[in-house]
Amino acid sequence: MTFDITDFILKDGVKHWLWVFGSVCGALLLASLLLSYVVTGMKGPGKVIKTILGGVSDLYALSLKRVFAIASLTIKEVIRKKTLVVFIVFAVLFMFGGWFLTGSTGARGDLEVKNFISFALTTTSWLILPVSLLMSCWGIPEDIKARSIHTVVTKPARRLEIVIGRILGYVVVGTGVLIIMGFAGNIWVHRQVQKSEEAQKALFCRVPLYGDMSFFDSEGKQSEGIHVGDVWDYRRYIKGATQSTALWEFEKVTSDILVNDKLKIEARFEAFRTHKGQMKEGLLCQVFLENPVTRKRVKLPVFHINEFTQNIIRINRKLKHYDEKEKKYVELDLIDDMVFDNDINKKENILRVGVRCIDPGQYIGMAQADMFIRYPDRSFDVGYSKAIVGIWLMMVLIVSMGVSASCFLKGPVATLLTFSFLLVGQGGFRQFLNEFVDKQVLGGGPVESIIRIVTHYNQVKELEEGATKMVAEVIDSGFFYFLRIAHQIIPDFSSFKMTPFVVNGFDVSWGSALAPSIAITIAYVIPCVLIGYFSLKSRELETK
Amino acid sequence: MEIENVIEVQNLTKIYRDFWGRKKVRALNSLSLNVKKGEIFGLLGPNGSGKTTTMKLLLGLLFPTEGEIKILGKPADDVKKNERIGYLPEESYLYRFLNAEETLDFYGRLFNIPAKLRKERADKLIKRVGVQGARKRQLKEYSKGMTRRIGLAQALINEPDLVLLDEPTSGLDPIVTRDMKDMILKLRDEGKTVVMCSHLLADVQDVCDRIAILYSGELKELGKVDELLKEQDETVLRTSKLDQNVIDQVKAVLEKNNVELINASQPTATLEELFLKTVEQSKARPGQRFVPENEQAESKESSTNGSSKK
Repeated sequence: MTFDITDFILKDGVKHWLWVFGSVCGALLLASLLLSYVVTGMKGPGKVIKTILGGVSDLYALSLKRVFAIASLTIKEVIRKKTLVVFIVFAVLFMFGGWFLTGSTGARGDLEVKNFISFALTTTSWLILPVSLLMSCWGIPEDIKARSIHTVVTKPARRLEIVIGRILGYVVVGTGVLIIMGFAGNIWVHRQVQKSEEAQKALFCRVPLYGDMSFFDSEGKQSEGIHVGDVWDYRRYIKGATQSTALWEFEKVTSDILVNDKLKIEARFEAFRTHKGQMKEGLLCQVFLENPVTRKRVKLPVFHINEFTQNIIRINRKLKHYDEKEKKYVELDLIDDMVFDNDINKKENILRVGVRCIDPGQYIGMAQADMFIRYPDRSFDVGYSKAIVGIWLMMVLIVSMGVSASCFLKGPVATLLTFSFLLVGQGGFRQFLNEFVDKQVLGGGPVESIIRIVTHYNQVKELEEGATKMVAEVIDSGFFYFLRIAHQIIPDFSSFKMTPFVVNGFDVSWGSALAPSIAITIAYVIPCVLIGYFSLKSRELETK
Repeated sequence: MEIENVIEVQNLTKIYRDFWGRKKVRALNSLSLNVKKGEIFGLLGPNGSGKTTTMKLLLGLLFPTEGEIKILGKPADDVKKNERIGYLPEESYLYRFLNAEETLDFYGRLFNIPAKLRKERADKLIKRVGVQGARKRQLKEYSKGMTRRIGLAQALINEPDLVLLDEPTSGLDPIVTRDMKDMILKLRDEGKTVVMCSHLLADVQDVCDRIAILYSGELKELGKVDELLKEQDETVLRTSKLDQNVIDQVKAVLEKNNVELINASQPTATLEELFLKTVEQSKARPGQRFVPENEQAESKESSTNGSSKK
């Protein structure tokens, strides 16, 4: 499993959002002004401006009481129309799910726990999300079709209040159901693990502290690590029995991180053997702690690495260190003597940990997330709750998108549109789109591609310099700019997936998982509400 | 003194277009009319004449193609005007999963009416429209008449100055129709302005002060009901029942004055009056039923022969 361990930076996120939001709003405004001018002449742009100003005034006059009235109507509607009966499926799955999952992993308790957690969380999300999508996409179109909306919009209810009220209502219903499902799923997991002691032990959440990583080659110079030609580019390697080193620097290491006066480091390395060596044993590995300020380096005992599973390194607070100057062993304190501050980078409480491969001719591969310090473990329930929050955020986004789409489309089409966003937003398509707009895909943009197809030009070879290339690049750059904005419209639903954290025994990180998910949700809910409002405001609710 | 106009419509035109913006139908063509404060104004016309379109344009549910609307001094698309308006749609498009109390409470909340006042008004209106016995039942269990009643109640929850009623008596039985008309008249007595559209002429005649007749989206007639219906070259005398002898004498007098007697006959009651009278009597004397004449004769005969036929 790999995680994106990069912490979310709010300032950069807001900047990016403003850029996309501003660009899309600007483009839409321009298109609306032009279209209204073409359709209705000189009056058109005036009407567009009036509608926008009306939106500002509606926002100012927004009444929470009316929003809550519409939300409570929505809740009653969902409950009384018996929409929630579908969740009986959930109960049935949980009643019999255990029969098929227990014993499916050859009685390895830790793997069984993974299955149980994955089943509980996946079932919850796959039931709540489609139902939320359907509910949100059909509410307003049904209201318009039955014309019951006539009795609402002829009251002082603003259309903005209708959109927000509907979203709020569906979110409240979804939240209620999610709490019940989450609670039931949690109890189910706890009941399932009671059958195996090994499984019970595996039910906890590790809280990792990740560090910055750098490689040094056999001459001690900073490098990118050795590429062994493996297809998967995730890990880089260090060469055995040389100065080749992987170095991590962990920030904010204080005595709070110690458990029973011991520092717990977890590592997951991969071996690359150029000769068989000792096949029955893992490669030999040396871990050391280093303080560049005091120039003290403490070597830890050499150990054989366990491949494809975790290596736990426990380091006592009191360390024995052989002082070369004094020619004797001295006792060092892990926190007081090995942790240092970097005034240049303004980083505090840094612990530097190095790894070397001892076996000559062999390589050890590692990536940034492969070694981390473990904070005191947290209860499984904490991580599980955070994963439920992830599902909840995704539900909020889907509901907002569904309600927004239903303001200008009929129920089935709104469902299809929202479902497409959901599908494209979490699949490989988004990754392809990311690579495409970043120009990582060979062949260039559409114009360049056409030229290559027509002239049978190889994708790898650069186009010949000249007017054709220049024209193609200019048109393609416009296309890429448009696509770069357009691909931001599709939310990255994979950011909401917090299940893998819990399934793999990790706590859900605030900085790299929860915070970006919350930011993405807010970033998309705002435009969704605006799109829904302006669509509902600018459409006639009665057409013959 | 000039009476304040509650609704002012100038050159109102509505053209429905298809998806491509091509003209589909001209539903309303240069309609201009005013509705004065405190009157019951009727919009009359056959199906497709533009009555409901006018109503929806007034409410801002549709956007005019051309023309101007001022309703309570505000443009039709101003939401604030709705604070003083009550609207009963053509069909009672209410939320069928709510009961009467919840319905009125919900619409009351849209007006930001405080909870206590909402409850008071809801109770009063439920009583007024006569659905006390069904206040806890969901509207999907209501008959059409009951739904119309609760529809009217929701239109009055804000104690509006202007009430717009779209086909208020359509599809109702004569008793509910009578009740509805009485309620409309009562609204006028309370000082409210009522605008109703209908194609049921008798209902409009019964309650409206002024009417506008629309046909194919155009205004064909506008004025006070009494004036529009007055036959300028005829006179009606209404007396107690006259003998043929007296009728002949009157006829002679009229002939002497060169006046033609067009018709002299005993007036009949309307079917509505007969129906309502029958229902009232049935309420007063339950169990009484209509017995055909031949059965009555048989019954008399058997009772004189001492038989016990029932």
